[in-house]
Amino acid sequence: MLSLNALIAASLGYAVLLFTIAFWAERRAQAGRIGWLRSPFVYTLSISVYCTGWTFYGAVGSAARNGFEFVTIYLGPTLVFIGWWWLLRKLLRIGRAQRITSIADLISSRYGKSTTLAVLVTLLAVIGSTPYIALQLQSITLSFSVFESGGHANLTAFWVAAGLAVFTILFGTRNVDANERHHGVVTAIAIEAVVKLVALLSVGVFVVWGIAGGPAEIFAKAPPELLRGDSIFSARWVSLTMLSAMAIITLPRMFQVIVVENADEKHLATASWAFPGYLFLMSLFVLPIAIAGNALMPEGSNPDLYVLSLPLSQGQENLALLAFLGGFSSATSMVIIAAIALSTMVSNHIIMPLWLRFAPQGTETSGDVRTILLRSRRLSIAGILLLGYLYFRLTGGSGALASIGLIAFAGMAQIIPSLFGGLFWRGATRTGALLGLLSGFAVWAYTLFLPSFEGGFVLSQTAIENGPFGLGFLTPNALFGLMGYDPLVHSLFWSMTFNITLFILGSLLSTPRPLERIQASQFVDVFRLDKSTGSYLVSRSATSEDLFTLAQRILGADPAQRLFSEMAQQQGKAQGLPDATDKLVQTLERELAGSVGAASAHAMVSQIAGGGTVSVDELMKIADETAQIVEYSQQLENQSHRLELAMQELRGANAQLTEMGAQKDAFLSQVSHELRTPMTSIRSFSEILRDSESLDLPDAKRFLGIIQDESVRLTRLLDEILDLSHLESGRGQLLLEPVVLQDVIEKSLNATGALLEEAEIAVHNELPEAPVMVMANFDRLAQVFINLISNTVKYGRGESPKLTISVAILGETVTIVMADNGPGIAAANRKKVFEKFTRLSEANLAGSAGLGLPISREIMRNLQGDLALKPSRHGAVFEVSIPLV
Amino acid sequence: MNRSDLAAEATRRRKLREGALLLPIFGAFLLVSPLITVFIGSTSIFGLPLIFIYIFGIWLGLVLIARAMARRLDKG
Repeated sequence: MLSLNALIAASLGYAVLLFTIAFWAERRAQAGRIGWLRSPFVYTLSISVYCTGWTFYGAVGSAARNGFEFVTIYLGPTLVFIGWWWLLRKLLRIGRAQRITSIADLISSRYGKSTTLAVLVTLLAVIGSTPYIALQLQSITLSFSVFESGGHANLTAFWVAAGLAVFTILFGTRNVDANERHHGVVTAIAIEAVVKLVALLSVGVFVVWGIAGGPAEIFAKAPPELLRGDSIFSARWVSLTMLSAMAIITLPRMFQVIVVENADEKHLATASWAFPGYLFLMSLFVLPIAIAGNALMPEGSNPDLYVLSLPLSQGQENLALLAFLGGFSSATSMVIIAAIALSTMVSNHIIMPLWLRFAPQGTETSGDVRTILLRSRRLSIAGILLLGYLYFRLTGGSGALASIGLIAFAGMAQIIPSLFGGLFWRGATRTGALLGLLSGFAVWAYTLFLPSFEGGFVLSQTAIENGPFGLGFLTPNALFGLMGYDPLVHSLFWSMTFNITLFILGSLLSTPRPLERIQASQFVDVFRLDKSTGSYLVSRSATSEDLFTLAQRILGADPAQRLFSEMAQQQGKAQGLPDATDKLVQTLERELAGSVGAASAHAMVSQIAGGGTVSVDELMKIADETAQIVEYSQQLENQSHRLELAMQELRGANAQLTEMGAQKDAFLSQVSHELRTPMTSIRSFSEILRDSESLDLPDAKRFLGIIQDESVRLTRLLDEILDLSHLESGRGQLLLEPVVLQDVIEKSLNATGALLEEAEIAVHNELPEAPVMVMANFDRLAQVFINLISNTVKYGRGESPKLTISVAILGETVTIVMADNGPGIAAANRKKVFEKFTRLSEANLAGSAGLGLPISREIMRNLQGDLALKPSRHGAVFEVSIPLV
Repeated sequence: MNRSDLAAEATRRRKLREGALLLPIFGAFLLVSPLITVFIGSTSIFGLPLIFIYIFGIWLGLVLIARAMARRLDKG
């Protein structure tokens, strides 16, 4: 028989080994050599904290009593894991994006960072986990008792709890950041997972092939009721599968290893089949061991301990020791992870908020908070283990192991409606979650948890049996008269009914706050968000830099600058950002409300100023979206503005076209009129010549002269029209050559010399001596000048008339200015003079059809120059510009 | 890779995802429905009760299918 001392030595040695491994892994991780410490298989093995001491010992006990029922506890997680793509993957992604630290944090975060919810879930978790931790302590002391009956159970439990507390504090609170992975702990857990699997498989193989001669022989010994029975497929079968499926997600320790400790989302793909495989192996030999135990062990021995007592009874001390270490591993790993998970929750959601509320102001420096946080975590761990130990002392090993485990499962399962609703239903609200959780939890406590004390706590034995105050319909095990069901099924039915109903009703009847809406979409649409969101959390106290950045994003750079410098001046600061006072926060909020609405502005500003856990990145995302919308609407505005401009241009063009059409009509009628006048006189004179017989020769000659003159005029008119249309269409390419400007002007003056003399116009020639060479067509350019000069002769005569011709060279062009001192041209008419058939005054001399200026301008344009009428106070000033050679 | 290959790939991945949803439902149907009572009885194969083979066989089958699917899902 193994002595107790040897057993203690073995467990101490094992504990030392675990400490060493954890320490070594921690050192390795610190040195950056993480490597296989973070392989998918280590992740899978760490998830096996699901298999606790209860699983290790209790599953065999359950199988010995109820046959196949134990399988349901593993089938639920199996189904959840093979469906990883739809639920666990989303949970992991959200956990990463939102930097979730625990299940309480997840629920609170989803429902608008609600502190109330966080506290509620934390309390739920502590209440649900304390019996569970007690259960592990009990399984360890029980396993000791197999080797040495009558030992000091309480003392053993105390030292185990103390040892676990030391281990957890040493390796579980090395860092403040709850998101920091606990490499040491996880590695130790993985080793323990291997130990418990090997231990159980060894015992199983020994039982099947060592004691019996194979599986057939074992099953032959099985009592028939164990294999058929009602245990398979009943309300309890379905409930237990569902319960375990829910527990794998909501149990604090499971959430810790699956979501928080996960290093890489891809590891989940491996765990999705490897963990069900692990569970498969863990349960494969449970039934054979139970059957063998029932057959071989003496009447009255505890089926929960068959794993240990069977090898011992066969004298296999080493195997028993291995089995003992397996059970020890199962129990300790669960307690360690549960303590870490719970301490995170308790310190983050209960201790820290209280401390921050009551702590003296001004001590919120980061180092200080760090110390406080670490201290509160360590205290929490010690407190949780103490609670577990006290629970163990008070209940004193009452009830079968499994039943306490199932009660805890049912308690934590109350989180499921809020969790599922939060992940998949955008409309789920904080009120709904709060109502659902509270009612579900209350019904669970009343129908399952309190009765489990068998009258020892709150509810008396008579109240449990007959209902409180004799109210029969309130009997905890038969609420509202629902009788004949297993207490677990009964409790699950009622608690879930209340939970889900109130959750849905509460959500439908309440309006979510803005932050809840933001979080709802962050959760429900997590796969649509950017994967690479490396968000960091806003520190507790607001910095004006953060506020300024936010303001810049939403208000724009300049208005934000103005607002902040104004505030700084009000605070008496010459330069720099203002202090983040309440007034600044309020002002900013009011300003932002103009851009994003009051509610969102409040949410954003108070989250920065109040130091909630909305990450700055998230806020910036909102801000960016707003900015994008603003920018987009600005673009739209610009575009509509541009459209309006284009419309105006089109309207202008249309008016011009209409005008041109009218001009064309006017031109045509003008042309016909102009042609008609000479034609009429030619016709009438030729008729006279033909019809009158008594016409004397001089008269006839005079008439013929008139006919001749009119024909010439007609011809010239037609020539001019042809010339103009030729020039306007640009078909007549003028031959360009270097020409001396002075020569052209000289020739023009010569050609018009007679006209000028007759009109007594003095010509002031101010041309430079040096020849000015221009690119032009000599004759056409002369035509322009002649036109202008004759124009002066016709309209530009004033008192002692004169014509000044001057030249100015500007860059590549030369400008010839012809100014007279006549009556000039009114501003309103300046454009008109270049229109065809325009005669501005009645002083029209015969022979001009008003085509001179339009033709001249066309010529100049064809010569790459221009002809313009310059505004002037006295007389008309024409400007001819033409490119130099 | 041309367009039709991409379309085939997209269809394959969609089916895979739908399969990933259906696998746990299928598993629940086999193990958590009245179907399981069909296999309760005194029949045994190689000395193993039929119900034992059924439950653990389905379980192992689910693990293997999940493994094959996880590898494909993870690749994409």
